[in-house]
Amino acid sequence: MFKIRAALAAASLLLLAACGGGEGGEATPKESGGLTPVKVGVIPIVDVAPIYLGVQQGFFAEQGLKPELVPAQGGAAIVPAVASGQNDFGFSNFTSLIIARSKGLPLKVVAPGAGSTGVAGKDFGGVVVKAGSPLKSAKDLAGKRVAVNTLNNINDTTVRASIRAAGGDPKSVKFTELAFPDMLAALDKGNVDAVQVVEPFLATALKGGGRLIASNYVDTAPKLTIAGYFTSEKTAAAKPELVKKFSAAMQKSLKYATDNPDAVRKILLTYTKIDPALTGALTLPTFPAEVNGEALKTLAGLAQQDGLVTTAPDVAGLLP
Amino acid sequence: MTAAVTADAPGLDAGGRRHRPPPAWALGLTGLATLVAALELAPRTGLVDERYLPPFSAMVTALADQAATEQFWRSLAETLRGWAIGLTAAMAAGVLLGILIGGIPLLREATASTIEFLRPIPSVALIPLAVLLFGTGMRSTLVLVVYASFWQVLVQVLYGVRDVDPVARETARSYRFRPLTRVRTVIWPTALPYVMTGFRLGAAVALILEVTGELVIGSPGLGREIAVAQTSGAVASMYALVIVVGLIGVAVNTVARATERRALRWHPSVRSDAVA
Repeated sequence: MFKIRAALAAASLLLLAACGGGEGGEATPKESGGLTPVKVGVIPIVDVAPIYLGVQQGFFAEQGLKPELVPAQGGAAIVPAVASGQNDFGFSNFTSLIIARSKGLPLKVVAPGAGSTGVAGKDFGGVVVKAGSPLKSAKDLAGKRVAVNTLNNINDTTVRASIRAAGGDPKSVKFTELAFPDMLAALDKGNVDAVQVVEPFLATALKGGGRLIASNYVDTAPKLTIAGYFTSEKTAAAKPELVKKFSAAMQKSLKYATDNPDAVRKILLTYTKIDPALTGALTLPTFPAEVNGEALKTLAGLAQQDGLVTTAPDVAGLLP
Repeated sequence: MTAAVTADAPGLDAGGRRHRPPPAWALGLTGLATLVAALELAPRTGLVDERYLPPFSAMVTALADQAATEQFWRSLAETLRGWAIGLTAAMAAGVLLGILIGGIPLLREATASTIEFLRPIPSVALIPLAVLLFGTGMRSTLVLVVYASFWQVLVQVLYGVRDVDPVARETARSYRFRPLTRVRTVIWPTALPYVMTGFRLGAAVALILEVTGELVIGSPGLGREIAVAQTSGAVASMYALVIVVGLIGVAVNTVARATERRALRWHPSVRSDAVA
């Protein structure tokens, strides 16, 4: 009996310690070694390689920042964490940010993240079909089943733009939502006729005999900036210095990533589990120095055209 | 031989002596070996595509690679820590509230419908709420773990308290036992087997929700590593981590059963095999 009571007492103490510890640690960020801790929500994919490189190369420490990179499964987890102030910054594609802003979430882009290479057939994402498929170009996608990772977002709107550019009928294409890792299996089984994939699944698909029929980001706009780092307007107003320092460190990281593609391929092995044998075959996105405003307007236009947002999006308000 | 056995009464061999079934551990190992063989052969023979289900040996190789990284061990520790804290909190809250609610009939009547309403809400449905309140850190996952395993414990404790022999309860009352003494000498010994069942159920549920939370929310742990392997297209590594989670499940169950046997060594349900 005494043992059980002792165990119970110990258990409740542990619980108290756990609760107390958690709250104290997160509510009041302390300065550690003179560096300001900053939390950034990222998705563990190729696109965020520059920020990992920047941390490794000390570009953030130069600005007095100590970033904690919090990997999340997708924008669904990142956007609320930034909007509520749990995270200072987050990584997201621009269509998601346009939609979020049109729904009244006050978000602001602070740095570009990743962009298309602008070279058709040699981009980091595209529409792939099975080896023996009769589909030859984006035009043939009309009436077919195409898998995208999120419905009503950047990938289905840009695939529609691609079909439009090729002179096809974008209305009749049937989109299905599938996670990137599940797409190639679905394509093989014939559950879908085409899949819109990004690296590393694009390289995997091409290695397995898949055929690229469209580079949807390239067809949408030249040098399309696809994703970037954002913060909430509240954080931007409360900590302007932090935002400025983060943007500066990010600029340097993006430039370093552009100049050192081999370092990008190498750092991938630290935060992803991509097969080292595959990294050489990956097509890297570009890491633009600034957000391409024109491309952003194009994305906003597509979002309105495809009914993702009801009113004309406020692109200027999104930009820094 | 099979013909002879089936012709005879079951359990007896041709000589009429008692036919001993193979020991449980041998049967368990055979089952496991069959599963491993199936996992190895299905992809090799082309029954399933090797790209989506690599052979077992490839998973083991990937597991060895994983085990060489510091990240793997850190994630393992994070998962176990989250599980232990969550389960401890659920046990403490479940036992205390269970004895309190179960011991006071008025309270039991008043809370019965509320408990029945809250209990079936799947923890996973609370993920968006947890993320809004606590962000994507470990605390969000902890909320899920505690919520899911708390009900397992609470309901068992409630049943346990209800099971107290009325004569014993009345006797305790006649002797004017103080409430704490009554809990210690009358309620607790009756409820303990139920508490242990709740512990065993809660331990399994806590592990499931810990890994689910890490997988979906992205809080640190093995679940997040599985998600990263998945987004990296590293299929063998993903299965390797899934195997590790399965092994943790086996270990958790073994520990829970051992704890149960130890805590209940005086109880007839456990003592009986020693007597027979």
